[in-house]
Amino acid sequence: MNTLMKLIGKEWKLCMHPTGYIMPLCAALILVPGYPYGVCCFYLCLAIFFVCLTARENHDAAYTLTLPVSRRDAVTARILFCTVLEVIDLLLMGLFILLKNLIGNQPNPAGLDAGVALLGDGMVIFALFNMIFFPVYYRDINKPGKAFLLASVAVFLWIIAEVIGTYTVPFLRDVLDQPDPRYMSDKLLFTLGGLALFVAGTAWSIQRSARRFEDQDLNL
Amino acid sequence: MGIDLTSGMKSPLTVQGLSKHYPAFDLRDVSFTLRPGSITGFIGRNGAGKSTTINAMLSFVRPDSGEISFFGLPYPERDREVKEKIGFVSAGMTFYTRKKLSAITAVTKSFYPAWDDGVYRKYMAAFGLGEEKTPAELSNGMKIKYALALALSHGAELLILDEPTSGLDPVSREELVEIFLTLKDEGRTVFFSTHITSDLEKCADRILFLQQGCLMADDDLDAFRNAWRLAECPSEIPAAMKSAARGICRSKEGYTVLLPASGAEAFPTREATLEEIMIHLEKEADQE
Repeated sequence: MNTLMKLIGKEWKLCMHPTGYIMPLCAALILVPGYPYGVCCFYLCLAIFFVCLTARENHDAAYTLTLPVSRRDAVTARILFCTVLEVIDLLLMGLFILLKNLIGNQPNPAGLDAGVALLGDGMVIFALFNMIFFPVYYRDINKPGKAFLLASVAVFLWIIAEVIGTYTVPFLRDVLDQPDPRYMSDKLLFTLGGLALFVAGTAWSIQRSARRFEDQDLNL
Repeated sequence: MGIDLTSGMKSPLTVQGLSKHYPAFDLRDVSFTLRPGSITGFIGRNGAGKSTTINAMLSFVRPDSGEISFFGLPYPERDREVKEKIGFVSAGMTFYTRKKLSAITAVTKSFYPAWDDGVYRKYMAAFGLGEEKTPAELSNGMKIKYALALALSHGAELLILDEPTSGLDPVSREELVEIFLTLKDEGRTVFFSTHITSDLEKCADRILFLQQGCLMADDDLDAFRNAWRLAECPSEIPAAMKSAARGICRSKEGYTVLLPASGAEAFPTREATLEEIMIHLEKEADQE
């Protein structure tokens, strides 16, 4: 088992906050009619914040850095662990989108409909969160609140823009916010774009966060 | 550099020119080398820079300058190899207070190829620790013992301890001192910072004395103590003594005066304890 896998195991066994198990289940809110479904992703962002808070309260950095691992490994493992939670959330969202389409999907007046494009939207939200939260957090791991505030503002601005866009932006209103399987190729393209941003944004976040953490004086 | 001249072995720790600047504090040019199989006490008052030195040694804070090597391996360049051979225990830190010790141990052991379950069980039993407890349920002394059990089970040859006896009752401190002596008998090197100097009198071979960010002394314990004498003056301090004094303190009977042994022959003096030496030198520094 390589170092990263061991560290991800450590995150799960020692740093996981109960909300990390509960919040992905908020994907079930997709079954609620007239709800801004992008908010389902925000609940998981909240769980990630709690994981980082738990880590701080338990002197996780001091423990981890006495293990035979580098600072870069510690950062990479934490972000990958949170990314796994995000992927689980996206998978559950996919499941509930499927279920909603099976039991009868109604148009959503509060943002994107429960369809394939919503998954792409979720990936953009997580990419945005990862690109802001982790680099700010790893500038000073004792202040996760500031990082979460900045990332939350960005996520909510995106969700608000997306809700407004479903009424005002033609591509959103007339293509992405239409019931599946209409305009499926455009929706798949959007979702693939979201996936690309999610992967590239998270990879960038790891690099930037690791550089910041490597330079940081830790008041342990 | 990094070779112990008396044993010819690679030194467990060599620190050369370690410096770190903070707005309100400077750690300046700290250099020392540890001897294998010895106990070194790192003393100084609160705020002298002991924890900063240890944090810089271990790269928790990035030093502005200086070179550090463990067992001849440059640090932090070879950090993974080094961390397999050292154990760090800090009294101020408690990890994962609500997790069972068994869970913390299970994670910890997965990182160390040299982990020995037999050794772990031996130390857990010797220290009277149960794996079903959580750190929150342990006393401060027991937390230190658990951290030591973890470090010793992965075969740490050098133990770095930051204020391990702080906040412990005298009996617990005595227990820890005995553990350090046993570890020394096993050939391990112990480096521990403390401001409770009486613990060091019982076990240390060597003293590093840090004052306001500078290493003021690096000597064998006996040589360090023998370099100073203490005079007790019930009333006025003679002028000749005052001019040679390296720190004057009030006492119940009058004054105590620390003198360099080389210039103390003319006065009635006695041996000074480590604590008395430290207090008087700090007093002198405060007055300057």
